[in-house]
Amino acid sequence: MKLTRRILASLLVGGVMTSVMPAFADDGEPIKLGAFVPVTGAGALGEASLVAVELAVKQINEAGGIAGRQVQLTVADYQTDPTIGVGEANRLVHQVGIDMAVGPTYSQVTLAVLPLLSAGQIPSINVSGSSTFTPAVGPYSFSMLPNAETQARAMVENAIAEFDAKKVAIFSDNGAQAKTAVAEIQKVLEEKNIALTGIQEYNYNSQDLTPQLLALRSGEPDAILLFTSTGDDTANVLLSRAQLNWDVNISGSYGVSLATQALAAGGADLFNNVIALNYAGFTYCKADGKPQRAIDLVEAVRAYKPDSAARYPMNFLALFYDSVFILKTAVEGNGGDTSGPAVAKWIEENIQSFDGVNSGLAVGAGSHFLIGLDALAIVKPATIDEYGIQERAGC
Amino acid sequence: MSIDELALILVRGLGQGAIYALIGMSFNIVVNSSGILNFANGTLMILAGVLAFLFLPATPGFVGWALVALAIVAFLFVFVLLQGVLTLFPLKSSVEQHSWLITTMAVSVIVSACIHLYGGSLAFRVPPLLPPVSVFGLSTPSAYFLLIGLAAFWFVMIGWFHKNTRAGLAMSAVAQDLDAGKAAGIPVRRIQLYAFGISGLVLGTTGFVGAPVINISAETGIGYLLSGFTALVIGGLGSNLGAVVGGSLVGVLSMFAAYRFGGIYQDTVTMGLLIAVLMFRPEGIFGLAASRKV
Repeated sequence: MKLTRRILASLLVGGVMTSVMPAFADDGEPIKLGAFVPVTGAGALGEASLVAVELAVKQINEAGGIAGRQVQLTVADYQTDPTIGVGEANRLVHQVGIDMAVGPTYSQVTLAVLPLLSAGQIPSINVSGSSTFTPAVGPYSFSMLPNAETQARAMVENAIAEFDAKKVAIFSDNGAQAKTAVAEIQKVLEEKNIALTGIQEYNYNSQDLTPQLLALRSGEPDAILLFTSTGDDTANVLLSRAQLNWDVNISGSYGVSLATQALAAGGADLFNNVIALNYAGFTYCKADGKPQRAIDLVEAVRAYKPDSAARYPMNFLALFYDSVFILKTAVEGNGGDTSGPAVAKWIEENIQSFDGVNSGLAVGAGSHFLIGLDALAIVKPATIDEYGIQERAGC
Repeated sequence: MSIDELALILVRGLGQGAIYALIGMSFNIVVNSSGILNFANGTLMILAGVLAFLFLPATPGFVGWALVALAIVAFLFVFVLLQGVLTLFPLKSSVEQHSWLITTMAVSVIVSACIHLYGGSLAFRVPPLLPPVSVFGLSTPSAYFLLIGLAAFWFVMIGWFHKNTRAGLAMSAVAQDLDAGKAAGIPVRRIQLYAFGISGLVLGTTGFVGAPVINISAETGIGYLLSGFTALVIGGLGSNLGAVVGGSLVGVLSMFAAYRFGGIYQDTVTMGLLIAVLMFRPEGIFGLAASRKV
């Protein structure tokens, strides 16, 4: 009986100690980082995401790790499928026992895996833009993507400021984020008393978009608010616009700044009358010079993956790269505590001090999106240079 | 709708429809001789486009263009012939055994994965072979006209082949009655392999000629396959005339749906057409009703 009591007491004390102690570990034990990236499947950006995380982990480990502990990376290829994402999240949380995570990129996958990460109190930084991603859904998770509402508001304001637009049309892909953005754009248009002449959608990877543009053209808008998610889709829209000999103004989302494919397909003329949003860390005004951190990252990627670096959208890659460093900074800021509540608290209180490729990060009230309007800039997409850096409009 | 808008929808719809028709015809060649539906057709067409991207020089002259075209078409002929060997090898009867359902899918998945490993998920952009054509003042990629011409060419050529060559006649005989063909001494396996090879020729030329207007990437083959198959079912499985008519209907209707109702309704309208046709003619517009033993 005494023995049983002692065992019970020991278990109780042990349990209490475990629950109240921060998630510290022995110095020799690595920090386990899970990376949710769509290496295969329909994701056009998965490879770049993976390279970003691998490079960040490599650099961190070479510099001594996080709070003296090496980082051990485990990759979860969710193939853009929420079901596979949940399976991979189960593996990372329950088998691998990750301490923190980066990704996913797709909102529907992020929303599917967040309950598992939250239950395990695992801090994470994803790259998703759905408005349904809130602190209540992911108390220890943050996003490095501007949410759809932020982009929507900026796109409308840019169309008014740059093109003096009084009537506009909306053209977007059919993804979840785009649908949220379109709904938000309509609200902002109403608020600003701007007429809406038409709305059109396209499926991802549709090559010929002239029928949709033809339909929009009949409304004679001053500008199109274009929400794309990939450089290929941007190229398809702009090539179709050129085939219609229609030089309508375009105020684009971040996806429209992914200019490499369009430039290769049709040259800089495709971007006449086009402005777009980009991460401020990859933009410059001639008077200020180009951002050195972005240049350093691109050169590091080229050295790490010389054969394939050319095809990565570097501004997107930087989001994953910065995500790992944000987690590192937060853990070190907490004295090595990797637990979700501690990391989340640090990010909420100190993210503005983060000095990465992206700057101007902030956490708004009731939001865990780190990219607000201050971290974005309006660019002329065709000015993209060999580092993926673009000149800001209105310099 | 103005005349220029109507022209745009018709020309581009027929151009897109030609892609579906050509995929449909490549289905027919194989299915008529072996009962096998080659579900790798979409990806094989994309493979030809990838090869065009890789091997077409930046500014090809006519000779360079023709040589690359010949090389790609020859490669596809051999590749699909080999696929035929692998598909038919384990089968005693392709009509009664159905492992081809998986093996043809597997080829599609493997080829897609190889394209993905080589180039990631980004689209391969192939420059146009000829300058665009102005249609009512609107610039139209020349590839659409070439594809329409190519569909007409293969429609005539395959018809001629079936009527005027020994292999073609044997293929027609096998299509009508495989067992009777065997009993008459037709080398059925060899004929079936020819069919695979010829379908490779059709897909090779389609991928090469249509590359500037086809979205060439690791993930897009399945979409073209589904559209081609839908067009074929509408037109009538086994009928090349059905493939051409079905392809044209799907292409034009899809373009019109994007213009009139929005891009998101393209597939809905196409599937609506499929259901409507199948309700009244389950064998498709030009398909032959199959007899069955009772």
